[in-house]
Amino acid sequence: MDISLVVVLVVALALFFDFTNGFHDTANAMATPIATGALKPKVAVAIAAILNLVGAFLSTEVAKTISGGLIREGDSGVQITPVLILAGLIGAIVWNLVTWLLGLPSSSSHALFGGLIGAVAVGVGFGAIDGAVLVSKILIPAVLAPFTAGLVSFVATKIAYAITKKRERDGFKRGQIFTSSLVSLAHGTNDAQKTMGVITLTLIAAGMQPSGSGPELWVIAACALAIAIGTYSGGWRIIKTLGRDITDIEPAQGFAAEAATTATILASTHLGFALSTTQVASGSVIGTGVGRKGASVRWKTAGRIALGWLITIPAAGLVGAAAAFIAGFGLWGVIIDVVLAIGAILTIFLRSRRSKVDHRQFHVPEPGVFVRPKKRKKAGAR
Amino acid sequence: MIDWSTFPLVVGVALVAACVLVTLFSLALRVGDGTESWRRPASVGLFVLCALVVAFGIYLIVPALHAFG
Repeated sequence: MDISLVVVLVVALALFFDFTNGFHDTANAMATPIATGALKPKVAVAIAAILNLVGAFLSTEVAKTISGGLIREGDSGVQITPVLILAGLIGAIVWNLVTWLLGLPSSSSHALFGGLIGAVAVGVGFGAIDGAVLVSKILIPAVLAPFTAGLVSFVATKIAYAITKKRERDGFKRGQIFTSSLVSLAHGTNDAQKTMGVITLTLIAAGMQPSGSGPELWVIAACALAIAIGTYSGGWRIIKTLGRDITDIEPAQGFAAEAATTATILASTHLGFALSTTQVASGSVIGTGVGRKGASVRWKTAGRIALGWLITIPAAGLVGAAAAFIAGFGLWGVIIDVVLAIGAILTIFLRSRRSKVDHRQFHVPEPGVFVRPKKRKKAGAR
Repeated sequence: MIDWSTFPLVVGVALVAACVLVTLFSLALRVGDGTESWRRPASVGLFVLCALVVAFGIYLIVPALHAFG
């Protein structure tokens, strides 16, 4: 099989995955400031995009293994081939787009792990997957993340409302700009790394780069750009779910939720285990909804999100497994895979046009401008 | 593997950090609301403390600032 063709395809798909990762995760940082009107929607996504771009260059730590130990890699274990990575990426991309269409904030890392697990299970066998790592690195943190963030956000919200009076709470909007930017920067230093790791390991596996070397500059730049463009295009559907559908967010709540998200992510990465940004951010929004008197949490929406988290790994895994199965037929299998993936991507984009959600729906009127004067129609003009 | 002993620590630190930031910012807004002459400098001082907390956050996020070697 022509290995260089496969490598080119993997790089292209990895960058596209990075793009979906970006627009899936804009909501984590920017759903709350957009919902409270602290930042105009376009400004918010622009800030998030720039911080993701900068963040990708700032961090020097690159994932040493694609799967973080989930799949027994290395000398004693299995060799993940570029073809299996390709199949895994297809699974991750398709699932990321499906959850985006449904407006579900789901973890992009989980989608990537799920896709890879499915691909490896078909290509190598289930024995290659380390079940203990799956439980301790993915399943347990997935349960802990929303509860921790929810608790922190709940307490922080209570404090904010206890100290301030109603007329002072608009001031939280200014604070929100900083807290949401912190979430964005933290995201940028983490998430682009995954794609860099995937591309670098593929290049090493294909013998185009010496083993053990770090990512090339063009890989870093391309990944940073892909995630920034993705962030800027804004996953408005997910922003709507997180910022509007779970609970109605006031500026003080937004500030408290973002502070809780940042604190939880930083505390967990520096003291213990990595938590998913998406799950932490969702937990914070729910926590702040419970914490404000008079606010109500739409538990049905929260339940849908939780269900989405539950099926992310199996669903991405199934797609990854199917792609790996087809790829097993050799070069033509790989080509059929890519054609099917492009078909799925186009179908989802066309589907999404039926119910468009974009930045114009997030207009928060300036105080005192609640009614916009209607333009008078001139007689005879259309 | 998850080290269970670190879990309460993570929750505790996250809780304290978020609450300190929110308390400082809330107090800054509360104190700044009024016309007495002492209110403005006190409020600004509290906002500066918030900025320090945020700066520590940036320090933690950027590996180049705290990684050695």
